[in-house]
Amino acid sequence: MTTPFFITDDLTTGYGKKTILNNISFSLEPGTITALLGANGSGKSTLLKALCCQLPYQGRCLLKGQPLDAMSPRKLAGALSYIPQQSGVTLSLPLIDVVLMGFNPRLKLLERPSSRQKTEALRALAAVGLAGKEAEDYLTLSEGQKQLCILARIIVENTTLLLLDEPDSALDFHNRYQMMQILQEMILHQEKAALICLHDPVLALDLCHQLLLLKDGRCIASLHPGSDSLKQMQEAFSEIYGPVSLLRCMDRHGKPRLVLLSDLQKGALS
Amino acid sequence: MRKNDPQPPVSCSDYSLWEKRMLTATFLITVTLSLLSLSIGKYPLTPALLLGGDPQAVRVFLTLRVPRTCMALLGGFGLGIAGNVFQTVFHNPLASPDIIGVSSGASAGAAFGILFLSPGIFSGSSPGLSSGGLPVTLSAFCGGLLAVILTLALGSLSRGRFSAGKRDASIVLAGIAVHSLAQTLLMTLKLLADPEKELASIEYWLMGSLGGISLYRLPASLIIGVFSALGICLLHRQILLLSLDESESRMLGVSVGKLRLTVLLLATLLTAAVISNTGLISFIGLLAPHTARLLTRSSRFPTLLLGGLWGSLLLLAADILARSAGSGELPVSIFTSLLGAPFLIWLVIKGKGEP
Amino acid sequence: MKKWISILMVLTLTFSVAACGSSNAAPVESEGTSQTQEGIEAEAEASVNEQTIYPVTLTDQLGREVTIEKEPETLVSGYYISTSLLLALGCKDRLIGVEAKAGSRAIYRLAAPQLIDLPSVGTAKEFDLEGCAALKPDLVIVPVRLKDSISALEELGLTVLAVNPEDQKLLTEATLLLGEATNTLPAANSLIRFQEEQLALLADALKDTEAPSVYLASNSSLLSAAGPEMYQNSLIANAGGSNAAAELTGDYWAEISYEQLLAWDPEYMILAADASYTVDSVTGDPNLAGCRAVKEGHVFQLPDAIESWDSPVPGSTLGNLWLASILHPQEYPEAQWKDAAATFYETFYGFTPDLENLYAEE
Repeated sequence: MTTPFFITDDLTTGYGKKTILNNISFSLEPGTITALLGANGSGKSTLLKALCCQLPYQGRCLLKGQPLDAMSPRKLAGALSYIPQQSGVTLSLPLIDVVLMGFNPRLKLLERPSSRQKTEALRALAAVGLAGKEAEDYLTLSEGQKQLCILARIIVENTTLLLLDEPDSALDFHNRYQMMQILQEMILHQEKAALICLHDPVLALDLCHQLLLLKDGRCIASLHPGSDSLKQMQEAFSEIYGPVSLLRCMDRHGKPRLVLLSDLQKGALS
Repeated sequence: MRKNDPQPPVSCSDYSLWEKRMLTATFLITVTLSLLSLSIGKYPLTPALLLGGDPQAVRVFLTLRVPRTCMALLGGFGLGIAGNVFQTVFHNPLASPDIIGVSSGASAGAAFGILFLSPGIFSGSSPGLSSGGLPVTLSAFCGGLLAVILTLALGSLSRGRFSAGKRDASIVLAGIAVHSLAQTLLMTLKLLADPEKELASIEYWLMGSLGGISLYRLPASLIIGVFSALGICLLHRQILLLSLDESESRMLGVSVGKLRLTVLLLATLLTAAVISNTGLISFIGLLAPHTARLLTRSSRFPTLLLGGLWGSLLLLAADILARSAGSGELPVSIFTSLLGAPFLIWLVIKGKGEP
Repeated sequence: MKKWISILMVLTLTFSVAACGSSNAAPVESEGTSQTQEGIEAEAEASVNEQTIYPVTLTDQLGREVTIEKEPETLVSGYYISTSLLLALGCKDRLIGVEAKAGSRAIYRLAAPQLIDLPSVGTAKEFDLEGCAALKPDLVIVPVRLKDSISALEELGLTVLAVNPEDQKLLTEATLLLGEATNTLPAANSLIRFQEEQLALLADALKDTEAPSVYLASNSSLLSAAGPEMYQNSLIANAGGSNAAAELTGDYWAEISYEQLLAWDPEYMILAADASYTVDSVTGDPNLAGCRAVKEGHVFQLPDAIESWDSPVPGSTLGNLWLASILHPQEYPEAQWKDAAATFYETFYGFTPDLENLYAEE
């Protein structure tokens, strides 16, 4: 029997005495992107925080057979990367310095990034579409550009498991797809997996391999858009988003894509 | 290595021309002020006397004038970079060494030393300087350190009460508590003090002076100061990581708790090493780093150094005035505030450092 | 039974008071008989002048007009200099309250140990209004620094005199003021006469001497100096020295640096009587090794076993004499100031000072 890439088994966690998540179990396959979907307050961010050991939890989380909560902080940082909803960079720093922070788990305490690492960081910036802006002040960027810069940092971190908390929130239409494509490229060719919280179920249906639906602290469904039936998925979505219609259509290149529409309800205000 | 890179690293990761220019300019001004500081004082020193080998002149120059200039230079530098560290670690632009109780602890320690430790306890110590003989220096140093240790201990007690990202907030809260505690202690000690005798010394200590600095009191604090300043410079990359949210920096491989403790202790040692010798010096820890940041619009390593240099510059200028403006010695804090505040205001109004 | 005893006591008291009165009056009469008419008039005038007639209106050192209705029998003094002055005027038994920390004053232990146990009315910083009122004294003497408390004290029905004995002239003024207020002008006059005589003798002895430069350091720090506008300057001047710190301005202790002290390079360094540092710490300070006073062993501390003569207490004249014997041992030998000191304390304070041990043991 081979060790599974990543499994979470019966995870329960919360803040202090207040339980937020109950008995969550799921697994991630290498080379896949998994979306966490759910209404506000359903526990998506809490799950990510628990996985990167910022919250104590009951249950098991194993990355390649190793429990996450037993890893040293440094090893954990080398295996996992995490982007909170908003990065806490509050100082005026050039983008290159922000990206270079991603090398920290691999550097000794007093070591400085090498010139090769600097080149790598420049490439990552170019990959997210920020080429030539490496000397600009992070704080002067738009929110969307900041998220792209943090994405570049994730690229150089080069970890096995990527945890992203709503990386799309400040991005425009084009950049959302670009970000997802960058993630796909990072993951497909290497032994990596990503778990990302998304607000937009369409993006998730379109570009993620697995969808975890959270409601009131429980995982109510684990969907695989590639194989599950439309009906099954539509029912699961209706539970968290209200009545919806899930459609399959063709894009102009003839590729089948999924589209989710909310059923309009009259008198929402009355 | 570099040759094989498809795209050789551009100058961006090296420091920008503007940063280098600011550093050089400030450095030159500091050197000029140091020379001025060496040539101004109450003892009539002339190059002719020094070169002629007049023994008293040479002694005054080497044991008093040079150490005093060194203290202003290094002390200002230390306060400047320590202020930067406190502001970065606590994500608070107004943070100063007092945010975790260093200054108030050192003040209470100094007052304790002035009241209860007779200068005779340590052999060869100075005859009761108002700015503190050796026992007062030691007592102030210990007071500052003790206050910070208390703050950090209290801060770590709150584990679990605050969510993971708010640990620095609980340290700040603990710092406020310790600060008020030390202030109360200081008040009590002032009340106990003889108004004709010790109270004057305590008040004078609280305003700071470099008048009592001599070669015989410098080495210990110099070693501690240089050691901690070096530590801070080496750890600067890590200190920047501490400026992120706690969760974010932890996921970048930073042992937040340990690193923060180390960095805060280094900054505390640095501050305590300076102010235990000079008495409280207001404003430099706040002014110098901000001046540097406004000038470079960045928080990189050159800005840390620039903040240190501005600290040196301010303290040198203030000390030159403190020893020459009046017939005796004036408190140096008067001049650090007097010089620093208008400059900072001008910088804020002007808005931009970079052209 | 008890009644009879108390009546007896009252009678005895009345008689003894009457007897005192007559014995006081007697010598005046007997002297008068042997003198001319003019002499008698002059003498009578002097004795009338030296006798306070109540109610009396005085101007205190804040310039306030204060009327004292009758001879004050109970006194409170809120300042150590006025307390010491009252001791010298022979009022030690009339004091019922003194300033705080009375136990630390050696002069009280020597001259009037009972003062130490008297209620404290606080310090010049924090005066205890209620505690003072509770004592119901006939007269309260406070330093001018406490002028804000005076109106409060007066509202409590107390008579208050403000004194400002901060230099020799003001001390003389305060001596006369208190002498008149407490009906002790003879003592006040002879105290002033003693001081003037001793200073005149001293000035005469030092006529032809050169003034060495003297540096006088405060009690808190060697690097805290007395400038020319301070009371301590007169101490140096009277003793035949010149103040090394003459260039300082301001009437309070000024902070200086080692450099400045070395630049002045005084021939003598004098430490305040209650200095918190020692002569040894000065002579052992490597920063001062090149200074003349240190090289020549001319570092001295003002004696402190009796009182601090560098503050304007009645005995401060002795500080001038002591310093003169240090600066000019030829012209003004040690024995001379010791004689003066013995006479002074025996006459005005009623004890014989130990002049062999000038310094209090730590």
